[in-house]
Amino acid sequence: MKPETSGPDPAPPSRREFLRRAVQAGAGVAVTAALGAWLLDRRPPGTIGRIAAVDARRSFGPKGAGPTLSIITGRARRQMLRRGLAAVGGIERFIARGDRVLIKVNAAFASPAALAATTHPDVAAELVTLCLAAGAASVIVTDNPINDPESCFELTGIGPAVRAAGGRLFVPRADSFHPGTVEGSRLIRDWPVLHSPFAGVTKLIGTAPVKHHHRAGASMTLKNWYGLLGGRRNQFHQDIDGIVSELARMVTPTFVVLDGAQSMMSNGPTGGSLADLKETRTLVVSTDPVAADAYGATLLGKTHRDLPYLAAAAALGAGTVDFESLRPVRAAAEEEG
Amino acid sequence: MHSASTRSPGRGETLLAVGAMAALAAVLVFVLAEQGRFSPAVLLAPASPTPPAGSSPAALLARWPGGLSAMGQAELFTPATLSDKIDGKAELYLSAGFLALSCQRVSLKGSTSWMEAFVYDMGRPADAFAVYSSQRRPEGRDAGLGDFSYAAGNELCLVHGRYYIELVGSDSGEAVLGSASALASSLIDSRPVTEHATVAEKALFPPGGLVADSVTLVPADVFGFDRLKNVFLARYQVGGEEVTLFLADRGSEAGAAKAAAELQAFLVTECGGTAAGQTAQPPGGAIVDLGGAFDAVFCRGRFLAGVHQAASSQGAERWASVLWGRLGGVDR
Repeated sequence: MKPETSGPDPAPPSRREFLRRAVQAGAGVAVTAALGAWLLDRRPPGTIGRIAAVDARRSFGPKGAGPTLSIITGRARRQMLRRGLAAVGGIERFIARGDRVLIKVNAAFASPAALAATTHPDVAAELVTLCLAAGAASVIVTDNPINDPESCFELTGIGPAVRAAGGRLFVPRADSFHPGTVEGSRLIRDWPVLHSPFAGVTKLIGTAPVKHHHRAGASMTLKNWYGLLGGRRNQFHQDIDGIVSELARMVTPTFVVLDGAQSMMSNGPTGGSLADLKETRTLVVSTDPVAADAYGATLLGKTHRDLPYLAAAAALGAGTVDFESLRPVRAAAEEEG
Repeated sequence: MHSASTRSPGRGETLLAVGAMAALAAVLVFVLAEQGRFSPAVLLAPASPTPPAGSSPAALLARWPGGLSAMGQAELFTPATLSDKIDGKAELYLSAGFLALSCQRVSLKGSTSWMEAFVYDMGRPADAFAVYSSQRRPEGRDAGLGDFSYAAGNELCLVHGRYYIELVGSDSGEAVLGSASALASSLIDSRPVTEHATVAEKALFPPGGLVADSVTLVPADVFGFDRLKNVFLARYQVGGEEVTLFLADRGSEAGAAKAAAELQAFLVTECGGTAAGQTAQPPGGAIVDLGGAFDAVFCRGRFLAGVHQAASSQGAERWASVLWGRLGGVDR
């Protein structure tokens, strides 16, 4: 008969040996469990609504009724901005004494202001000045640029202009972002969102230039919120209409300023040549970013139908593409000097 | 006789062992799956343009032309990181076979002016011409540099073999433009190429009515058709009429015929066009009515060619006939 096994017959462990091995195994399990508990992230990514950026979101919108859209023509951005704000009730309608204001500019590229690829320093500085004059306790200016942040803020002229006006520049770092999810969203899920500069903020202003965009068709105030995203956000270019509409849902600003004094008609969003620009001599102030961008599309020779993200944002409740329904206040800025 | 210590494992023990191994394997699969799932939350840092160690040139040039000095180190971008530098415009370059971008800012000594040099390695001269021509500013004037070049406002753009080079100045002053020209010459000298962008297809377009410098090589999504790539377009103005002619070498008669059939089907099914007859010359060319604008599509030999947005069916056929004639003798 074939033996079932071979080899020496091990001696059974003694009671002492058994206990020693049992204690060793138990200690191993305990150490592993303790290590796991130590490494456990007890605050896993949640919805955007759980982070400060959106806790404050409800208060970002203006209080009280009033005009929601002004379209100002002129050349000098500072005067156009002042006239545009006056037309919708004045800065005091939006900014109260003690407010902590965050201004989201477009500082995506380290290019000179003359190329209009970024927020013009005059617009950024004038917003800071007006907010401080209205009694704001602090005004922070920020963006998460495409290029290296320091160069972007300095070479665009935004940094020096903001500092000179009394504002504070917030240059994002790695720990300025927290993962979050916009409820009901398909793309902004567990995604790093610029978080730190929103701490204590009570009012949010967005400002962007009017630009052609190779992928999105146009880049204006809604696309500008793209700068609140961190991580490898370039993958969202595969669904640019989806991400811009979700950003519109994520962010409800106090108001936006769309600068079409010069519009980048082609080769956007970077441009590069003064030949890409057209003097469109218009600036829009609005509490409805969708309406502002729908009007801005006309400066590029387009309509809202050419920019599918506008209708998608409107469908998500972010505003209306029918800007005329808001009865925009149209005026010309008085030129100075 | 068998002792208990040498017996074979029983069926229950075997099943238990197999179950334990299966559980461990399941844990392993779970861990690998979780590790493999991309989590953007762990990439919190702003997208950094920092290239892989050792692959970034310290400077675009070993020696800068007089009057220029580097403002910082050169940066290098790959297809995976190009959008970190140029955002949405990356798609244009990627669709044209982009390989690498080296860029660096330089300042003009004794001045607040500066410029940034972008050197795109497109791999092939034709691809360099594609991105050059797709962005060419109509106001640009010939700069006399490289294979093709122009200066527009504050910018100087050129093709040098496989390289597309942009020099973007902070202003359009003479000092900046003069320095840009000197810098462009130095960049050309420092990057010898064996093959230049000649773009023979330019000569195939009829000269009468051709808008100067309007010949463009579109790398992808031509007319919004994602399967139509690498097509030359040329704009024409005769009297009050404007029209665009197009042609593309498809390598074989069969390839050209297939491309023509696909484009014709696209114009009808995706663009809402209606078939509006065939041309006598070119023989068998298709006319498509796109709501008042007329396209013509035909092939001759290995070339796909046609007319885009003519004002009338007769106009489309007339221009198609002219282009068809130009392709005679070079279609094999």
